[in-house]
Amino acid sequence: MPTLIPKLSTWRADLPASIVVALVALPLCLGVALASGAPLFAGIISGIVGGIAVGLFSKSPLSVSGPAAGLTVIVLGAIESMPSYQMFLMAVVLAGVLQICFSLTRAGILSEFVPSSVITGMLAAIGLILILKQIPHAVGFDREAEGIFEFSTANGINTFSRILDSLSASVTPGAILIAGISLAFLFWWDAAKPKEGPLRFVPGPLVVVLIGIFGNMLLGAVKPDWQLQATHLVQVPITQTLSQFPSLFTFPDFSGITMGVVWTSAVTLAIVASLESLLSVKAVDEIDPRRRSTDKNWELMAQGGGNILSGLIGGLPVTSVIVRSSANVDARAESKLSTMLHGFWLLVSVALIPAVLNLIPLSALAAVLIATGYKLTKPKLFTERYKQGWTQFVPFVVTVGAILFTDLLEGIVIGLAVGFVFVVARNFRTAITFACDGDDCLVRARRNLYFIHKYELQKAFNRVPDNTNVLIDISSTSYVDLDNVDIINAFIKGAQYRGITVLIRGDLALRTVKLINAPQTEVRFA
Amino acid sequence: MRQYKQLLLANKAWSAEIIEESPDFFQRQLVGQNPEFLWIGCSDSRVSPEQMTMTPPGNMFIHRNIANLVNDDDMNLMSVLQYAVDVLGVRHIIICGHYKCGGIRAALDGGTSGPVDDWLKTARCVLHDHSDEIDAQPDLDQKVNRLVEVNVRDQLIRLARTATIQGAFARGQEVLLHGWVYDIRDGLIKPMMEIDSDTVLDEIGRPDKVLV
Repeated sequence: MPTLIPKLSTWRADLPASIVVALVALPLCLGVALASGAPLFAGIISGIVGGIAVGLFSKSPLSVSGPAAGLTVIVLGAIESMPSYQMFLMAVVLAGVLQICFSLTRAGILSEFVPSSVITGMLAAIGLILILKQIPHAVGFDREAEGIFEFSTANGINTFSRILDSLSASVTPGAILIAGISLAFLFWWDAAKPKEGPLRFVPGPLVVVLIGIFGNMLLGAVKPDWQLQATHLVQVPITQTLSQFPSLFTFPDFSGITMGVVWTSAVTLAIVASLESLLSVKAVDEIDPRRRSTDKNWELMAQGGGNILSGLIGGLPVTSVIVRSSANVDARAESKLSTMLHGFWLLVSVALIPAVLNLIPLSALAAVLIATGYKLTKPKLFTERYKQGWTQFVPFVVTVGAILFTDLLEGIVIGLAVGFVFVVARNFRTAITFACDGDDCLVRARRNLYFIHKYELQKAFNRVPDNTNVLIDISSTSYVDLDNVDIINAFIKGAQYRGITVLIRGDLALRTVKLINAPQTEVRFA
Repeated sequence: MRQYKQLLLANKAWSAEIIEESPDFFQRQLVGQNPEFLWIGCSDSRVSPEQMTMTPPGNMFIHRNIANLVNDDDMNLMSVLQYAVDVLGVRHIIICGHYKCGGIRAALDGGTSGPVDDWLKTARCVLHDHSDEIDAQPDLDQKVNRLVEVNVRDQLIRLARTATIQGAFARGQEVLLHGWVYDIRDGLIKPMMEIDSDTVLDEIGRPDKVLV
């Protein structure tokens, strides 16, 4: 597929953006792996595959794939229920195969029907969660793994209580200092960045990481008790020599293909990962400054390919992920070259310079993610939705709230349910016109009579007085729901007892009128 | 986009939409026409008979001229009438005037010249015949409205006196003549009067006001 090969013409934007995304991705990959109960390196493998392989297969210009927070609960449960991690990898491979099957059934198209209020609600909620979850990291309270979206975790700790804990219990001045300076720089750079010249390609987050590394070194020299120690820094597993690096990869146990538990995990993973990927890709399309539209069905194919590959070499399942994708958008990436390069940087940096990566303070990355979170959940987003009226605002707010207080998946399901109720309500248009002139009455369908018009149709028939001549006009319809045909026929049946004569003007296609037991009036040509 | 292009595109869509619903819709029309109605109305672009009565193609034979006038030396209308009654056998003939009719107003106000002025001679005759009532109206708007109404009455009677209609009545052919007025303000047609073979034309009075 020649069209899948990225063009190199936008490298000046994509190269710096890819480095930012890789830096953001690194702790997220490790955090998701930790929370999933998988080897830490499995998260990195997943990130590499999500970048290079899914990046290559996908037609989305800006979506970044990798290990997903939304899958941690499922992955944790799956790994615990299986005899070995290798068996779990088999499930990941199978999930990938299933995703390709989904793609072949064109299931990806379903994602186009997610209400936009729910998509933007999801983005806003993830923005809020990012900010709330990163505040503890910004102040040096690194107890929770990175990249977690659940509101409540074990021991009755929730997002808000953790923030309170972090602010009261253990304040780490070095972390606060680095995060504070980083945040200030990010917001200043966003406003003050030159529009022209080479500086416009310098992403703020990249500078922030350097501020973090060198700032922490400076603290070591000036005020050693404020210097951040290993627990507050990125922790990439380090191999002694490069030759040991391949030993970090593991391979699936193909005998698992006969096990029921492998298949149930595979099916669950395939469904949930597909859902997350589709929602994420759809959301990334929304925040693409150029508003390109991704082929969603193809995306399932790309994700499936990614999961097969990730499973084959020991990685966690991949999905398209919003946080990394929006960091990619923020860093002004132009094409999929950025997401592919990000995978490459993950590979190279973990293989060659793990010790350097481990100098990056988590608080500096927290600043990057808080700034990204702010962009996802700007107050303007809320006011815009509010102005669109309550049929957009209510599902939006419900989605935000539900995701914030449950988790991504559960929140989306709640948001979708509410969203669809409002969509149906908003799409309802009255379809029946009733007119009377003396003893003659007209019941006219001015548009298609869907199931939701049942009540309206019944109400119109109830208004017809006894002893009249009624014309039922369905000539403007191309569809009348069978339930409505029943209502019409019931009226016709009752009409003879009420002294009503009925005439019907049929639909153009004669589909409905065939089903109605009344004499027809039509234009004759001969 | 050019305006006339919009017409042509709309027509493409219209044809495609109908064929999608009823693939033989146009084929069925090839056998001929058998309309129920002859419509004699005004040329005014706001008064579109098929749209305002939701009449599908094939059901209405149509003649339109300024101020919906009937002259027995107008070969255009007379040929339409003859074909509609004698060949197509329409059962209803409708003369429909309308609120804010420019032709009627010009008959009151003048300001016309050339062919239009010649054409409106018939309308000025109506004005002359009913000047007592028209003059009694308090303002121009109501004068125009009333002239629209009595014009429909006079034209309907002139129609009934044509050789074609008299012949049909004599043969016992079922033809009913309707005098209607369309009100642009609310989109409603207000029926005023009817004439059939039993109506004594000399005894028809002025219709009640419907444009109020």
